[in-house]
Amino acid sequence: MRRRNGIRIDFVRILLMTLLSTCFLTSVAQYSGFKPVGDLVGFKKQFATEAKKTQSIKSNFEQEKNLALLQEKIVSQGKFYFKRENRVRIEYLKPFQYLLIMNGDQIVTRDNQKENKVNVKSNKLFQQVNRIMIDCVQGSIVDSKDFTVRVFENDKGWLLEMTPVDKTLKDFFKTIVIHADRKDYSVSSIDMQEPSGDNTLIKFVQKEVNVVVSDDLFKTN
Amino acid sequence: MTSLKQTSRPRHRFFVAALLCAVTLSGCRSAYDDLQPTGEQTTCIRKFKPAFRVDWYTTSVDVYGHHISGLLLFKVMPDSAVRVVFTNEVGVTFFDFEFTKNDDFRVHQINSQLDKKIVINLLRKDFELLMMRRLGNKPLPVFRRQNEFFDALPGKRETDYFITDKDCASLLRIEKASKRKKMVEVKLVEETGSAPDSVSLQHFTFDMHIALKKLQR
Repeated sequence: MRRRNGIRIDFVRILLMTLLSTCFLTSVAQYSGFKPVGDLVGFKKQFATEAKKTQSIKSNFEQEKNLALLQEKIVSQGKFYFKRENRVRIEYLKPFQYLLIMNGDQIVTRDNQKENKVNVKSNKLFQQVNRIMIDCVQGSIVDSKDFTVRVFENDKGWLLEMTPVDKTLKDFFKTIVIHADRKDYSVSSIDMQEPSGDNTLIKFVQKEVNVVVSDDLFKTN
Repeated sequence: MTSLKQTSRPRHRFFVAALLCAVTLSGCRSAYDDLQPTGEQTTCIRKFKPAFRVDWYTTSVDVYGHHISGLLLFKVMPDSAVRVVFTNEVGVTFFDFEFTKNDDFRVHQINSQLDKKIVINLLRKDFELLMMRRLGNKPLPVFRRQNEFFDALPGKRETDYFITDKDCASLLRIEKASKRKKMVEVKLVEETGSAPDSVSLQHFTFDMHIALKKLQR
């Protein structure tokens, strides 16, 4: 029974990590750069304002997982969709197929073998996930109690350095670094750095903000 | 009525005794009792040992109704050690194991939820079996069941059986067994001398199945 619970918690955590990495894309205004942002309060306000303008996102992405000590990496590609308030679709297409859909209380994952459905309400940790997602959409993630956030800037954009406070998150990540473009506040990359020195860099390309995104993409049944 | 009880009791006792006997005997009977020694010894199985270099696999694990998927890396290091790393699709690493040249085993990294001796030992044994790590240069005694030939590699408590056709031309499957029953079955789809294209690993003492499919990059 202990093992079953452990696996369930693990699965939940995997989804939490996924959600964290994706919700940053949905929160539009994030910083990347070299010097600390002088007016952090003003930045947070602007961040929230810009986040509210984003109704939908459609983007391709390239993900590079680096195993530092083994000097190995694996590159994957796929498509990302977001639609307000709380719908996300992450679709890995190469070199493997994997689908993750989050729609309100429902989360669905699908690999080559099977489809998994989870109801957020059935698990306390998923409720936490939901809260973080809402924080992202509302632009209040920079005030999240789960991270300490440092914001930097240069003339091209912003860098947000998110350091987990929560022990669960610390287990997986040393820091999460997010780069965002100055011109449209959109996230250009997310770098998830693990305690081991490994990292996963996700770069978003061909982003389209506030374009038509079909509801069918977020169907969970 | 009394006489009926007296006559039925012995029958009842006989039935219970017979049932117990049957249960006990069937429980004690080994699933491998019917293997016939051929008197031969062979090293032919060594050619089927998977030849990993740097190989990634899509991976799915089904345990007690829970489904977990991810990516598994096998990498042979310059010193011949093999590193086995499991990450989820999003990139989070769950474990990093090393099977050293000298048959030692090291855990370089493991998520705290999986960091339990029973889980680590289970995964270690499963990977050792599918990589045929325990296979050495020593010839193995060959047993036969109908058209299948079992090359037996005894361990401390369990025996690994590498099961081939008559001419040792193809590896049909691998089984890990206790004295009485099959515990694990591995099926590899591979071209001899290369990394397998796919692997199916089924546990029989509890509900767990691992499936690997090689990534074409």
